[in-house]
Amino acid sequence: MSDLQVIQQALQRAARRGRWLRAWRGLWQGFLIGAVLWLVFLGCYKVLPLPAPTLAVAGAAALAMVPLGLLWSGRRAVTLAEAARWVDLHENFQERLSTALEVAGRPQAGHWGSLLLADAAVCARKIDPRRLAPVRLPRASHWTLLTLAVALGLGFVPEYRSQELRKKRLDAEVIKYTGERLAELTRHSLEQRKPVLDNTQQRLDAVGQLGEHLAKATVSRADALKDLASLTDKLKQDARQLAQNPAYKRLEQAARGTGGEKNSPANARMQKQLDEIQKALGKNPAAPEALDQLKKELQKAAQAAAGLANKDSAGDSQAKDQMSQSMANLAQQAKEMGLSLPGLEDAIQALQAGQADLLVRDLNAALTDLEKMKEMAQAFQQMQQQGEKLGKDLAEQLEMGQAQAAQGTLEIMILALKGGALNPEDLKRILEQVAKAVGPAKDYGKVADFLKKAVGEMQQGKGGPAAENLAAAAKELERLLAEAGDLESLKASLEAMQKASFCIGTGQSWMSGLRPGQRPGSGRGKPGKGGFGTWVDEEGWLEYPEISDLWENPPDDRGALDPRSALDRGEGQLADNLDPTKLRGQLQPGRSMPGISLKGVSIKGTSTVEFKEASMAAQSEAQNALSQDQIPRAYQGAVKGYFDDFNNLKK
Amino acid sequence: MNTEQQIAAFRQLYTALRAEIGKVMVGHETIVEGTLAAIFAGGHVLLEGVPGLGKTLLVRTLGDILDLPFSRIQFTPDLMPADILGTNLVMETGDGRKEFQFQKGPIFANLVLADEINRATPKTQSALLEAMQEKSVTAGGEMRKLTEPFFVLATQNPIDQEGTYPLPEAQLDRFFFKLVVGYPSASELTEVLTRTTETSQPKASRIVQRDTLMEMQQLIRQVPVATHVKDYAVRLVLATHPKTETAAPIASQFLRFGSSPRGAQALVLAGKVRALSQGRFNVSFDDLQAAVLPALRHRLILNFEAEAEGLTTDQILQQILKDVPKDKSLAPAAS
Repeated sequence: MSDLQVIQQALQRAARRGRWLRAWRGLWQGFLIGAVLWLVFLGCYKVLPLPAPTLAVAGAAALAMVPLGLLWSGRRAVTLAEAARWVDLHENFQERLSTALEVAGRPQAGHWGSLLLADAAVCARKIDPRRLAPVRLPRASHWTLLTLAVALGLGFVPEYRSQELRKKRLDAEVIKYTGERLAELTRHSLEQRKPVLDNTQQRLDAVGQLGEHLAKATVSRADALKDLASLTDKLKQDARQLAQNPAYKRLEQAARGTGGEKNSPANARMQKQLDEIQKALGKNPAAPEALDQLKKELQKAAQAAAGLANKDSAGDSQAKDQMSQSMANLAQQAKEMGLSLPGLEDAIQALQAGQADLLVRDLNAALTDLEKMKEMAQAFQQMQQQGEKLGKDLAEQLEMGQAQAAQGTLEIMILALKGGALNPEDLKRILEQVAKAVGPAKDYGKVADFLKKAVGEMQQGKGGPAAENLAAAAKELERLLAEAGDLESLKASLEAMQKASFCIGTGQSWMSGLRPGQRPGSGRGKPGKGGFGTWVDEEGWLEYPEISDLWENPPDDRGALDPRSALDRGEGQLADNLDPTKLRGQLQPGRSMPGISLKGVSIKGTSTVEFKEASMAAQSEAQNALSQDQIPRAYQGAVKGYFDDFNNLKK
Repeated sequence: MNTEQQIAAFRQLYTALRAEIGKVMVGHETIVEGTLAAIFAGGHVLLEGVPGLGKTLLVRTLGDILDLPFSRIQFTPDLMPADILGTNLVMETGDGRKEFQFQKGPIFANLVLADEINRATPKTQSALLEAMQEKSVTAGGEMRKLTEPFFVLATQNPIDQEGTYPLPEAQLDRFFFKLVVGYPSASELTEVLTRTTETSQPKASRIVQRDTLMEMQQLIRQVPVATHVKDYAVRLVLATHPKTETAAPIASQFLRFGSSPRGAQALVLAGKVRALSQGRFNVSFDDLQAAVLPALRHRLILNFEAEAEGLTTDQILQQILKDVPKDKSLAPAAS
């Protein structure tokens, strides 16, 4: 290897080392720049009203500085000439390497070139890259750590934010979240059921759009409340208009009743469960009491089997025989009840085979099956009792607002009338049923007219025209049902809008805020109070029907907990359990209402607050008081009406 | 003789010269080395120091060692240019005719000692200008070349200012080195006393022939200098130029004029001599730094502020050495 090669090789190693070291230093410099950047942004964030994502962006930029520093510093390779000069300087080689490298490249270097190369090669052999440039933390690392320590300290310093800004930010968050929820609920509602009436569709679309607008745009609290109030008024107006139809009262009552509509979702679910239970228990399911008796006997047999397993099998054949006999009797009983207990049959076989362990196991399995069957029988019994609440005939069904059941009854009648082979007794029975239903059908608009006509036709023996009239009545009922569905949708939207107004007005989030009309304390029970809590939808977790089937107490079956609307009762009329005479103190119906101080605005003296703002604040405060039962039930209607009138005054 | 042998011969000669001068001169290593560097580089030397420090002795010793014609000129206020250069005299020829003939002055030697050069008038001092730069003398309308090598070794006394004339800048610039002779140390003074107050007087012997010296001068010029080393010399000189982009801050503040290109030439040549004398084949940054003070101190002109503050050019140059980095390019991982 020539002197020049020796020098070049040594310098290449040094250059590589130098490049890595430069990149290492660049990494720390980038880290330092990033740390300073972060510190500056953190400082700014602490004193200026910068949005929170600024910190995330600054953090990302700061972190990006580290690889950037590494790449930037290590991007360029170190040339041999540079490396030579660096090594000369670092190792005090008196510029031997750099001069030799330069002169060796000259054509006229001559003898001087050889002398220089030989001299430099001696130095090159002494080069040890590790010793030349040991890896150590550069000075920038100390400053970086210091900066990070300062930034860490600054992290504990509380942010300076004005009260106004914090409130504004909180309001914006609440408005955004409320808007999202409102839009989501409306979308979900529309997906579940498309309104029949165009007006309802438009209103629901408007609610969805308002929700999206609140979620996306930066809207002030006042504007948001104004928009919500405006749309709420429209929804109320529409709901009132629809509710004027007396048929809806019936339908609503039926929907809220324990049994509900036959074909309502709850009843459909119930029917499905009934079918499943019947499938499992047979055509004539046994009574739960009989199953309980059978279970007790099986338990005795299981205990005896356990005792048998512990004894010596050789000396106890008599006990085996007795057990075999009793198990055969049990199997016979189960068969008579229409039950299928494969575990019991396996147990008999195990006993005959003398396998005591298997016997115990199979008997336990049979017990478990029997327990399940008993529970199912109990559920079946309960469901049957609920099903009995359905109307017996058309008149009762219409009376109880069971429109779909009535529709079904009408369809059976239509089929019978159209069949033509109807004997006079049957016709008379239908005629009586329809005539009886004319009275209750008056609340259903044209239904009564169609029924009357059908009665007339049937009295004249005209089965065909009577069937047509009954079909028209059924169609009218269907229309009414659809419109009632629209009313329900409107009311649900109205409720959501009121909750949105409440949340935005009081600055509470959708989740933590109580729904308007929802009774506080009806939740999971409060410590220190008697009784037990009831699971209610405080956090919206029941709003997902696809999973509500999974728990035993679906919301549809808890009519007693549902709030009653103004349609259920007249002014001043309350449910039994809300009888105001039960209240202590001076709160008596008919007397003047005690004063309730509202924190919103002072109503005394001259105020500089605009009416609109004052009325909105008062409204939301009143809404809050209503929601939290601060106002006695007896006066809630009056308070609500009083503050609702503010909207008219604003107009 | 090949280059390697020449280099070996140079080192041998240099060592011998140092030893021979050391027989007569006590201490003053820097002065001796500076003088030898100037001689091998073919430059003139201005020795400045108070009387009695051995300036003249050093030059006389060099005259003894070098086998070169030596002349001494004692500069006095009434010394005229013709007394240095020579003059045309009316001479009688062999056939009885009379004609002007040029009578050569003491400048026509290889080694000229200009003792107390600042005592002569500027007119007389200027007589040396042409000789020192072009190595020729023009008198009576005729130019006469001086024989190579030609060295002027001048001395001057910095304290006795009455009746003296400061050397003009053009004259100063022609000196390769200005060496400031300081006081000897105690041990050196003891040695001086021993050598000069006893019976035996040390005498230097003649060891260098003219041709050898000329060869060595040629060899010195062949020593290679790397580009970045030359660049350092340039940056050092440019840093002395006040009010320029390259000026060092201290130069802009305290200097009226900086070094001429002769300063850079002196730096590199002196560096070459030092490199070779130290056994290297290349010039290093350290070689240039060692030559900065003697090569540049007489080429800088202080401004009023520096004079008022009592600053010297040496102090300014030392600051410039600190300010100007050795290698301008970024080292890969220099800490």
